Amino acid sequence: MTQFGRQLGIGPTDNTSDQRTPRKPLRLIPSVARESFVPVVPARYVMRTHEWDMTRIAPGRPRGDGTPIEVKGTLRNENGTPIRDALIEIWNANHHGRYRHVEDASGLQLDENFFGMGRVVTDEDGNYCFWTISPGAYLARPDIGRWRPKHIHLSVSGGSARLITQMYFPDEPNNASDPMAILMGDGFENNIGKPYETSDLDVDEGYRFDIVVGGRNATFFE
Amino acid sequence: MTQDNGSNLLKATNEDTSGPFFPIYFQDESLEDLTVLGPGIVGAPSGQHIILCGRVLDRHGNLANGVLMEFWQANAKGIYNSPDNLGHPDLDPWFNGYGRLRSASGEYKFCTIMPGASDNRAPNITITLFSDGISRIVTQVFFEGHKANETDPVLKSLGTDDQARLIARHGGHTDGGAEIYLLDIVMAGANETPFFDDFES
Ligand SMILES: [Fe+2]
Repeated sequence: MTQFGRQLGIGPTDNTSDQRTPRKPLRLIPSVARESFVPVVPARYVMRTHEWDMTRIAPGRPRGDGTPIEVKGTLRNENGTPIRDALIEIWNANHHGRYRHVEDASGLQLDENFFGMGRVVTDEDGNYCFWTISPGAYLARPDIGRWRPKHIHLSVSGGSARLITQMYFPDEPNNASDPMAILMGDGFENNIGKPYETSDLDVDEGYRFDIVVGGRNATFFE
Repeated sequence: MTQDNGSNLLKATNEDTSGPFFPIYFQDESLEDLTVLGPGIVGAPSGQHIILCGRVLDRHGNLANGVLMEFWQANAKGIYNSPDNLGHPDLDPWFNGYGRLRSASGEYKFCTIMPGASDNRAPNITITLFSDGISRIVTQVFFEGHKANETDPVLKSLGTDDQARLIARHGGHTDGGAEIYLLDIVMAGANETPFFDDFES
């Protein structure tokens, strides 16, 4: 007998969400098969040493347009156990709202000093830290004037933990109308970086973003 | 840290869509073909080479462009390279079992070996899907012609129509001897692929 889990929501005013969100409720996994549903990502990363500093495309180069920021936090599972040696892949739009991605057809301005993609690995205690340029918001639905609020994409993989999420910024005017934020409801608070003082650092703003990877997968092999 | 009401669990960060611009820059060809160890390296995982390929489609039957797909499977002897199996004699040192690719068009092709049957499972591959408009969704794909499909607990938990939507059809073989298996994944709509809830299960 099929048993059902969550029914996924469709993001309001998001055409792609309408086209791609499964309409049937998710099925529960029979318990005898549960363990085989837990992918384990082998620790094997390729990256350059400067990728933690996305404010410039290479060491010694000028900084990109806009506000340099630091983002840091701790990666844990729901039990509070730090997830060490996890790969965090980061991508965000430049100050003008443009990605250096071949499929970004927005026509917004590229920045010759901003790359917008970087990778970091969590330390022994699950901590991570990177610098980037504060991203611009961009108009996602010109026809109805809906913007995507400023956000940074983060993809986390480490052991059996897997999460793709976005960090948003506090008090942004477009947060309230964002389809994914609407789906998160009150939980959206959890996806907003918490500002901190950076007067002693070579960046203008700091945001703490602690990440908790939910679900049993992340604790399966704890 | 915020706490869940009435439990000691931390509140999970919400999953969110990958958006359309997951960096192609992060691609790793060695995760798209698990039969090859890397440039210039002598050695190979054991097992029958297979190619799992097909299309990822949306509610209107159109290709879902810009999908990120991840794969997880046991080795040819049915052993997963998970921490619980550390030191298992049947682990294949040349096979991790984790693959990843990003398809610009929505058509995909993953080169690997046929997984062995583990415990009371039929050979299967877990597929994790990310794309614009959705957060992470997961399912498992099976292979036409395996007797164990009839007794697999995941397949048995589904109706006949849904079972068929998870069984890849055999589509001949390549000149190099790899068996081809075809599976379209339908993200939404009438012929929707069954997806599973690995949060609540
Ligand atoms: Fe984005």
